[in-house]
Amino acid sequence: MIDSERVVVIEGLRKRYPGVNALAGIDLTLSRGEIWGLLGPNGSGKSTLLKCLVGLVRPDAGRIEICQEPFSRRAKANIAFVPEVDNLYRWMTVQETMDFIAAFYDDWQPQRAKELLDFMRLDPKSKVSTLSKGMKARLKLTLALARKAPLVLLDEPLSGIDPSSRDRIVEGIVRQFKSEEQTMVLSTHAVGETERLFDSVIFLEEGRVRLVGSAEDLRMEYGKSINDLFKEVYA
Amino acid sequence: MGKFLRLLRKDLEASKWPVTMLSGVSLIWYLFLRLKLESTWSLSQVMFLLWFPLMFLPFWLIWESFQTLRTEWREDTAYTLIVLPVPGWYITLSKLLAMFVEYSLLLAVNIGGILVIFRTQLPEMFGSLLQELPVSWLIRSMFILYLASLGIFTYAIVFIQLAFVVSKMVGRLQGLVALWVLALASWFVNRMGILLEPLFRWVPPVSLDRLFHMERVGVTYDSFLWNLSPQIGIWLAVLALFILTAWLLEEYVEINE
Repeated sequence: MIDSERVVVIEGLRKRYPGVNALAGIDLTLSRGEIWGLLGPNGSGKSTLLKCLVGLVRPDAGRIEICQEPFSRRAKANIAFVPEVDNLYRWMTVQETMDFIAAFYDDWQPQRAKELLDFMRLDPKSKVSTLSKGMKARLKLTLALARKAPLVLLDEPLSGIDPSSRDRIVEGIVRQFKSEEQTMVLSTHAVGETERLFDSVIFLEEGRVRLVGSAEDLRMEYGKSINDLFKEVYA
Repeated sequence: MGKFLRLLRKDLEASKWPVTMLSGVSLIWYLFLRLKLESTWSLSQVMFLLWFPLMFLPFWLIWESFQTLRTEWREDTAYTLIVLPVPGWYITLSKLLAMFVEYSLLLAVNIGGILVIFRTQLPEMFGSLLQELPVSWLIRSMFILYLASLGIFTYAIVFIQLAFVVSKMVGRLQGLVALWVLALASWFVNRMGILLEPLFRWVPPVSLDRLFHMERVGVTYDSFLWNLSPQIGIWLAVLALFILTAWLLEEYVEINE
C-alpha cells in the first residue's frame, strides 16, 4: 500500500479507565476507498477507538496519523464524525444546523447537502427539538455525508433507530460514499443490516483486535457471512 | 475570523431565551413598582426596590458563564464543539464575548426600562441629583463604571471557565475540583500581582479625580490615585489563565460520559 492511500495509521494505541482496559494496544492501517466495519459487543472498545481518532478521548500511549499527519487540529478538518449520542443543538432548525456545520469545514458540498436533505426527507425549517430519534440520526448522517471529508467515522448510526430510518441511513451511505476519495469506519453490533456495506471488517474484543481483513476474504476463509462469523466470534 | 464569528453567533443565539426572559421579568418588576407608586407605596420604598434587578445582574452573569459551558456537556453538544477544527480560545473567547453582549443588553434594557417607565417621576426621584450633577458627567461616569464592570466580569468568567475545564479532566469529584481550582486561581492571580508589581512601578498612577472629571462636580482636591502596577501583574496572570484554559480545552479535555 502506498503512503497516500493510508488514511488512518494507528500504532500501539492504549487507553485505560479506572478498572477497565478500554484499548489494550491497537495497531491498524486503514486504506482509502473502503468502508470498514468496526465490530464488537458492548464494551469492546469501538466507541473509545473512534473517540481517540477524533480527539474526544486522549490515548494513554500510541500514535495516530490521519491522512499522513499526526493527530492535530488540522487533522480534525479531515474527519466527519457521527457520535452515538444526540450532539445537535436542540434550539436550531435543521437548516441552521447545516449552516453552522458548513461554516467550519471547507469540504462542505452545498449541492450534496441539499440532495441528502431531500433523500432523508428532512424539513429544513423543522426545529431539531421536534425531530424523532430516527430523524435526528438522519440529520447527523446528512451533516457527515454532505462533506467530502477523507475520513468518515460513524459510531453506532443505527442504534435505537426505527426500521424505516435504518433503511434510509444504510441507503444514504451506499449512495453518498465516494470510494475514490473517502474512507468510512462504521461501528456497530447490528451486523446483519450493515454487512453488505463493508469492504473490510475489524473485530474488537476487550480493547484488542481479534480479527481483521477483507470482508470477502473472511467469508471465503470461514465459509460463512460476516454476521454469522460475528455470532461465532462473540458466542 | 469567520469561524470565530459563527461560534459567537451560536452562543448569542443560545442566550436569546434567558436574556428575553430576564428582560421581561425586569420590565414587569418596574411596571409593578410604578403601579405601586401610584397607589400605596412611598417614593423611598420604590427607590429602594428599584435596583433589585440590577443588583441581581452580576450574580446571573457569573451563573450564566458557568451554565453556558455546562449546557454543552449536559446536552452532549460538546461532541460537536470539541471536534470542530478551531483553536480552544475560539470557544472560550466566543463565550466570554457573548456574556459581555448579554450583560450589556440587560443593562440597557434595565436602565432604559427605568427611564421610560418612571419618566414622569424622574424629576421627583433624581431631581436633587440632577441639580447637583451635570447629565453629561453622569453619562461619562456611568460609561467608565460599565467598562470597569466588564473588566471585573472578565476576571470572574476566566476563573469559572478554567475551573469548569479542569473539572472535566477528572473522572470523579468534579465539583470539589472546580472549587479548588477557583481558590487556587484566585491565589495565583493575587500572588502574581504582588510578585510582578516591582516590574511595573514605572507606570504612572491614574488620578481618579481626573478620570471622572471631578472638578466638574466641584471636587478639586487630587487625592484619589489608582496604582496600576499591581493591576498589570494581575491582568497578565488572568491572560495566562485564559490561555491555559484554551490549551487544556483543546489538548486535554475528554468527553466520555
